[in-house]
Amino acid sequence: MGVPELCAIPEARRYRLTACLQLQFPFILVLTFGPETTSPIKLPPALLERARKLTVEHDQLTTALQSDFDAKKAKRAGEISRIADALKQFEKAKSALSELQGLLESDDAEMRELARDDLEATNTQLADSSHNLSVALTPKHPFADMPCLLEIRPGPGGTEGRFFADTVFHMYKAYCANKGYRTRVVQYESSDSDGQTGSEGEIALQEAVLEVQEPGAYGLFRGEAGMHRVQRVPATEKSGRTHTSAVAVWVLPSFPENPTSESESDWDNPESDFYIDPTEVRSETMRARGAGGQHVNKTESAIRLTHIPTGTTVAIQESRSQQRNREYAWRLLRSRIAQQRREAREEVSRQLRSSVLANSQITRGDKIRTYQYQQDRCTDHRSGLDAHNLPDVLKGGETLGKVMESVQAWLVNKDIQALIADEEAAAAPKKESK
Amino acid sequence: MPRLRPSLFWQARREISPLAAQLLPACRDLESAANELRWIREHVQDTPSSVPPGLRVWNLVEKRGKGVPLQYVLGTQPFGNLEIQCRPGVLIPRPETEAYTLHLATLLSQSQHPPPHSLSILDLCTGTGCIPLLLLHALHASLPPTTALNIHGIDISPAAISLARANHHQHNPLPAPASPPLSPSHQRTLTFHQTSIFSPTLLSSLLPTLFPRSSSGLDLDLLVSNPPYISASDFARATARAVRNHEPRLALRYAARWGWCRPEDVFYARLLEIAAVLKPKRVLMEVGGMEQALRVVRMVGRFSSLLGGDGDGDGDGDGS
Ligand SMILES: C[S@@+](CC[C@H](N)C(=O)[O-])C[C@H]1O[C@@H](n2cnc3c(N)ncnc32)[C@H](O)[C@@H]1O
Repeated sequence: MGVPELCAIPEARRYRLTACLQLQFPFILVLTFGPETTSPIKLPPALLERARKLTVEHDQLTTALQSDFDAKKAKRAGEISRIADALKQFEKAKSALSELQGLLESDDAEMRELARDDLEATNTQLADSSHNLSVALTPKHPFADMPCLLEIRPGPGGTEGRFFADTVFHMYKAYCANKGYRTRVVQYESSDSDGQTGSEGEIALQEAVLEVQEPGAYGLFRGEAGMHRVQRVPATEKSGRTHTSAVAVWVLPSFPENPTSESESDWDNPESDFYIDPTEVRSETMRARGAGGQHVNKTESAIRLTHIPTGTTVAIQESRSQQRNREYAWRLLRSRIAQQRREAREEVSRQLRSSVLANSQITRGDKIRTYQYQQDRCTDHRSGLDAHNLPDVLKGGETLGKVMESVQAWLVNKDIQALIADEEAAAAPKKESK
Repeated sequence: MPRLRPSLFWQARREISPLAAQLLPACRDLESAANELRWIREHVQDTPSSVPPGLRVWNLVEKRGKGVPLQYVLGTQPFGNLEIQCRPGVLIPRPETEAYTLHLATLLSQSQHPPPHSLSILDLCTGTGCIPLLLLHALHASLPPTTALNIHGIDISPAAISLARANHHQHNPLPAPASPPLSPSHQRTLTFHQTSIFSPTLLSSLLPTLFPRSSSGLDLDLLVSNPPYISASDFARATARAVRNHEPRLALRYAARWGWCRPEDVFYARLLEIAAVLKPKRVLMEVGGMEQALRVVRMVGRFSSLLGGDGDGDGDGDGS
């Protein structure tokens, strides 16, 4: 359960301590001596620490699974195997690098030469594996494993946007069909446009909602949400002038009909509302300002737990026993988080039901992608990918898949940056108050 | 220490009980007074006696109200899942120590795969024996029966050693009745020894009989210590009155000079010297604050050639 927080003492490097850590409070020195050298990796120690813990858990689970199978354990092991593999790759690259660095200092000129040749490749390996590791560590979006709803609405400004909304709808529908994802058309409503059709034979769409029933669809499609811009010559445009219009796409998780279980009995079940990943909880022994340790003799040992992702905290000082306070605090934290999760689900469903989304929201959104007919181009403004073969994109072909993948990679990178910033902020030593 | 407002006593009397008002001088605020009164009542309820409970509560409250630490009044301090016995003359275990000891137990039981054949641990300045006892209990529960445990605690104080032994007697983890008895090679032992860590015979004769030799030193997985670390000036200024007046000075500060370092760092110099000879796999020491931590880290520079690195022993490591 709650693990005291460690911060590294930078000065330790000078004295060849491989690990010199101090618990923020209480003050403890953990010294490790030995030959292991440190290499310049950007991964914050807290992140590596988390990876190591999960790897240990993974190895324990696999060992346990060998002797008797347990569906829950197998599921958990599957979930964290990505991290364990990535960490092993990373450590391998790291030790290869330090070996090379040793060779670089060798007296043998030929040895040094050989080592130098391998250095670059190994450095690349290290960079790749640390990237993979951070990807694996990046917490999945909480809805990533769910099916999703794609809602498509034209932006303001005439029938051209409505026609293109229809194109976008068919693009996604075809894409799902190509990929073999099951879909269901929840809504498909045309506006009254005197039977006119667009340049490609589209109808003037008012609103469409497509459910992609595949588990994990939310994760695949969440990058599609936003303003999609089209530049083309409308069928009605006699002068051949290019028009610009826009279509808004909303991606929402689609919740199963029956909500997950409500009992406290399955705390260990990641599916349950009551499940909390212990690595996401910071545990502190609370103390008054000023000195601690041998200087004072408190009778209270209050425990404060902070659920980092939501910032929820609970503090308990019911018992003299720190351990009992901690158990009680965990109980309370679990129920609070479960409560929040239920509320969040209800909130999303509420938003889902009120399908009237303000026009202002649509126009204010920045465009995420442009479909340029004249130049036969589809440009994603976030990933910067510029795909040719627009017809294949609009047919929901592989080119659309490539565009979507580039956005996925962009999202992951954004999450990693956020994660690293968070970990670094959390690891920065707290200021002592005088 | 600022005087308490008279209205606070009045409030304690009215809102909690006259007994709470009596606890106020020691507890300093209403919430603590209410908590401690509850714990005193619970203690009286849980420990049968021929003395009437009302009288016992009153006696304990009086003692506590005069400033005697609650742990000495009740005779115990929870430490992990253990109730460690406490007696005047021996330092009361602190919650910070409890937190890192539990953390250590988790690290030790998870870090090695496959589980090691044996784990050896040395706790210097052991006091009540709380650290090795909790490690023994936690590791006993989490390690497979094929891992032997060889744990030793050392303290200079006869009172501490006899209390540590009493605690061990009370909290001796017995093998589960269903499991087969441990084979002699897989024993789990904890032993306490009374001696000073400065004793010249410690390194030459005592420790080599406790732990088998390894290639470089002794086969020791963990050296842990919570030594006295308070400086003379902090002792006067920065310690709580209950600590100063009721806990043993021997456990808190060391007044003599020893070689080149500050008196309050003397234990760390000796601990590092011991570590340099034994070469344990890990060392954990509680220190009194960031400044002391940095001085100790610099001290490591002086020992780094002995500790296995090829350190250049920066000359500015002197903290005095
Ligand atoms: C701060 S207490 C720590 C007690 C216990 N380990 C704990 O954490 O609660 C320090 C202990 O060091 C012991 N001590 C003081 N001088 C010593 C010496 N020269 N050799 C061994 N132990 C000593 C004291 O008796 C005291 O029990």
